[in-house]
Amino acid sequence: MIERSVIDHGAPGDVIQLDGVTKTYQGGGPPALADVSMGVAAGEVVAVMGPSGSGKSTLLNLIAGLDRPTSGAVTVAGRRIDTLSESALARFRARHVGIIFQFFNLLDDLTVEDNVLLPAQLAGASRRQARSRAGELLARMGLESFRDKYPARMSGGQRQRVAIARALVNSPAVLLADEPTGALDTATGQEIGALLRELNEGGQTLVLVTHDPGLAERYAARTVRLVDGRLAGAGVGALR
Amino acid sequence: MSWYGPVRTATGGLMRHKVQAVVIGMVLLVSTASATLGLALLAAGNAPFTHAFAAQHGADLAVTVNPARATATQLAGVRDLRGVTAAAGPFAEATVQVQYQGQPWGQFTMAGRASAGGPVDDAVLSSGHWPDAPGQVVLDEASQDFGGLQVGNRLTITGLPRATSLTVVGIANSVTDTADGWVVPGEIAALQGPGTPPSAQLLYRFTSAGTSAQLGADLAEVTGALPAGTVTGHYPWLSAESQNTSNGAIMEPFVVAFALIGLVMAVLIVANVVSGAVVAGYYRIGVLKSIGLTPAQVVVAYLSRVGLPALAGCVAGVVAGNVLAIPVLSKSAEAYGVGHQGVPWWASVLAPAGLLALTVLAAFGPALRAGRLSATQAIAAGRAPAAGRGYAVHRLAARLRLPRPIGLGLAAPFARPARTAVSLAAIAFGATALIFAFGLRSSLDQASAAQSQSATVPVEIQPNGPGTAAGPGQWPDAAQDAAVTAALRAQPGTAHQTTVYEDGVKLPGLPGSVNAWAFGGSASWLGYGVIAGHWSDATGQVDVNTSFLTASGLSVGDTATVDTGTAQVTVHIAGEVFYPDSTPTVFGSTQTLPGLATPGNLQQWDVALRPGTTTAGYVQAVNHALGGSSPWAATTQKDGGQFYSIAIGLIGTLSLMVGIAAGLGVLNTVLMTTRDRVHDLGIYKALGMRPGQVLTMVVCWIAVPAVIAGAIAAPAAVALNTATVRAMAATAHTGVPASFTQVFPPSRLALLALAALVLAAAGALAPAIWAARARPVVALRTE
Repeated sequence: MIERSVIDHGAPGDVIQLDGVTKTYQGGGPPALADVSMGVAAGEVVAVMGPSGSGKSTLLNLIAGLDRPTSGAVTVAGRRIDTLSESALARFRARHVGIIFQFFNLLDDLTVEDNVLLPAQLAGASRRQARSRAGELLARMGLESFRDKYPARMSGGQRQRVAIARALVNSPAVLLADEPTGALDTATGQEIGALLRELNEGGQTLVLVTHDPGLAERYAARTVRLVDGRLAGAGVGALR
Repeated sequence: MSWYGPVRTATGGLMRHKVQAVVIGMVLLVSTASATLGLALLAAGNAPFTHAFAAQHGADLAVTVNPARATATQLAGVRDLRGVTAAAGPFAEATVQVQYQGQPWGQFTMAGRASAGGPVDDAVLSSGHWPDAPGQVVLDEASQDFGGLQVGNRLTITGLPRATSLTVVGIANSVTDTADGWVVPGEIAALQGPGTPPSAQLLYRFTSAGTSAQLGADLAEVTGALPAGTVTGHYPWLSAESQNTSNGAIMEPFVVAFALIGLVMAVLIVANVVSGAVVAGYYRIGVLKSIGLTPAQVVVAYLSRVGLPALAGCVAGVVAGNVLAIPVLSKSAEAYGVGHQGVPWWASVLAPAGLLALTVLAAFGPALRAGRLSATQAIAAGRAPAAGRGYAVHRLAARLRLPRPIGLGLAAPFARPARTAVSLAAIAFGATALIFAFGLRSSLDQASAAQSQSATVPVEIQPNGPGTAAGPGQWPDAAQDAAVTAALRAQPGTAHQTTVYEDGVKLPGLPGSVNAWAFGGSASWLGYGVIAGHWSDATGQVDVNTSFLTASGLSVGDTATVDTGTAQVTVHIAGEVFYPDSTPTVFGSTQTLPGLATPGNLQQWDVALRPGTTTAGYVQAVNHALGGSSPWAATTQKDGGQFYSIAIGLIGTLSLMVGIAAGLGVLNTVLMTTRDRVHDLGIYKALGMRPGQVLTMVVCWIAVPAVIAGAIAAPAAVALNTATVRAMAATAHTGVPASFTQVFPPSRLALLALAALVLAAAGALAPAIWAARARPVVALRTE
């Protein structure tokens, strides 16, 4: 078992690398993230934990390219993304990053299949290829019979599985999950946790933001703690 | 909670939704401005002559006198006659021959007046200043229209012992057209031709002057009070009204059409914006109810929330409407032939009050519903469009082989059908106005060309040459006429030429006189627009105008007996031609209408040029050939265009305003939809939708309504154009050739229908750019 240091500057070849990243929001106040440096190796599962307002979601947004750091560098899948244009960043997100949200963020007016297909279509995948991949993922999530249903008529667990299928449709290098079980009951949460673990066993790199120490303990190889926007410590999860 | 609380809450909401508040304010601003202008135009079109006549103290009667036949005391005495309420003059006047840039420009009556105002016939200056020194002239708009003369032009007066010139220093409008131009009083003596008797004008307003009979009695009283032979002429206000009203009435149909379109659009857009704004506030309403706001307080809060920016917009709009009205009403006044038109006070009150009332009304329904909803229902209703709407369309769009952002964009409007319908209506009205404006312009261009014959008859020879006729008050003699024909035949640039005679003829059984135009040569090339039948192509055939057919009850193909004074002839009516005149008029050859071809009836020669011949060069060559002693002179065609150019200018201004209002309506709809769907936009962006794809998707939100609006607008504009042109023609006592309304060949109409898409895209662009630029993390957080 290799425990990475608390102030983890990352290592060459890491699929995610943050170097001295600071994020300050407009309106002043203390930085949401202050001089954070860390890395995530390919195939690793890292849980990011911390109290509310500690900067967990900000960290995830920066890795996803949904937001830009005030200073520092963010490199994902070998590309420095904080300097990319908005278009290039969107293209990068579509191809290399899959995001799972706490409240699923499915599009209610699209069917399950169309939700899953969307990132592939935006990335320019061929129609046949995208449908085949979506079908494969829906089957894997046990949602084959739901492909023509609308998300609003599904349970929370089913919706989150649709969101996972959508996040995986472009076979991203990195899967980012923001409180993926936060809106689910315990049993369903465990079901989703197991699914994420299964994905990691297939080699999927995963960064998991969670409040739930149990989830981090059970499914993450490494835990990163944030307090007031600073890295405060690290732990080792069950996966190691 | 006091009532202050809800209002303060509303203001807080307003500050949190500055964009929406700005949009409400802007929409009310443009709508109020449009409505103010629309009402002002409707008022301007309502009896413009009557209003201007009252405002400008028009002359009931302009009496021309020979001041040498009466003493100053006698002339002054007729001011105090019974029934005279106001009088002005005598103003010395002189009739002069004018040349401009070496070309004969016609006969002008100049009056000497020290100032524009006075108890009778205020001349309203539209540009420049009143003459304050010899050598200056202010032209009446009517005479200025005739030749397109402008301030700064230098006119040469011919036929005087010494060279005299006048510089145009102003353009003014006399509602009763008492003169073609005004100079300082001392100038008149210098403009008087040798041997010409002196002349002066007396201007009167009477207690009773409403009818021809009353005016006749008034004139008799004036004439009787002066020595015999003093009164040499008169011009009653009814003649001026007849002239001005015919022009004004022609404008009215399209001005009314634009004003109504503007008003309907203003109502639609305001209703859409305001109800949308309240619905968008449902989430906040839910939150406020959860902390204790009563339903009544919710209603007050949200009426205040839309009411405050709406009030600001209305106030700014009425100011903007009054400012915008200045150039538009100036054009309208020019078109109606009156000196000045302003925004009536009631328009400045009715427009903002009406739109504010509409705002409150539009807000009241949704606000009341919000007040009745439970807190949780309001929060749910404010978060998203009603579930289930537009899903099937999304499903269909996903199956189409379209780029995904386009498919998503095309399906989006079906989630909010009511809002989409209002947007569609706004685009349809805007596009209808633009297509209609284009068509009307094409129709008026054709009417202008047909009426002025400027394309087919670029040169005319008219009796305003530098030489004199056979004697004072005499017509040119046969030798002088023959010299013109010879000169025209000698010019290599002459393609066609014909003499044109005019005289009154009689149609047995038809009261009053019929005007007859007889052509000495072939006249098929003159280019009269044929409404029905064909141009006469044999002796015994005539063409007539619409007034002729209306007055006589005859139709094309019928025969009629015409008494030319020297003979009664039976003629066959070959066709009905476009000749807007209330006087029945008949057109034929001099063989068909015998007796008309006399030197006294000869009005002019019409000339067509060979290709490659320049009009100016030809005119110069002919005038050179005629020499300095001919009473005839070649001149370029310049009649009839000014009215049309004013109308076309007005159409352009009005369509621009309607277009802007429609664009703003679209902007608002897209903005509201963007705000509704901002969270979805965040998701799209998180999933990898690029800014360009977001832009495309948002613009496509409005594409389906725009296409449908274009499909509605195209035939609507064609119908509106046909109806308007016919209405305009009817007021001008004429029918119209089919070609005047057939100005929309299918390819052009299809292209013009794209105006709806252009309008929609222009309106959607700003919110689309905002959506494209929004950072995904911000959009995801915004609900």
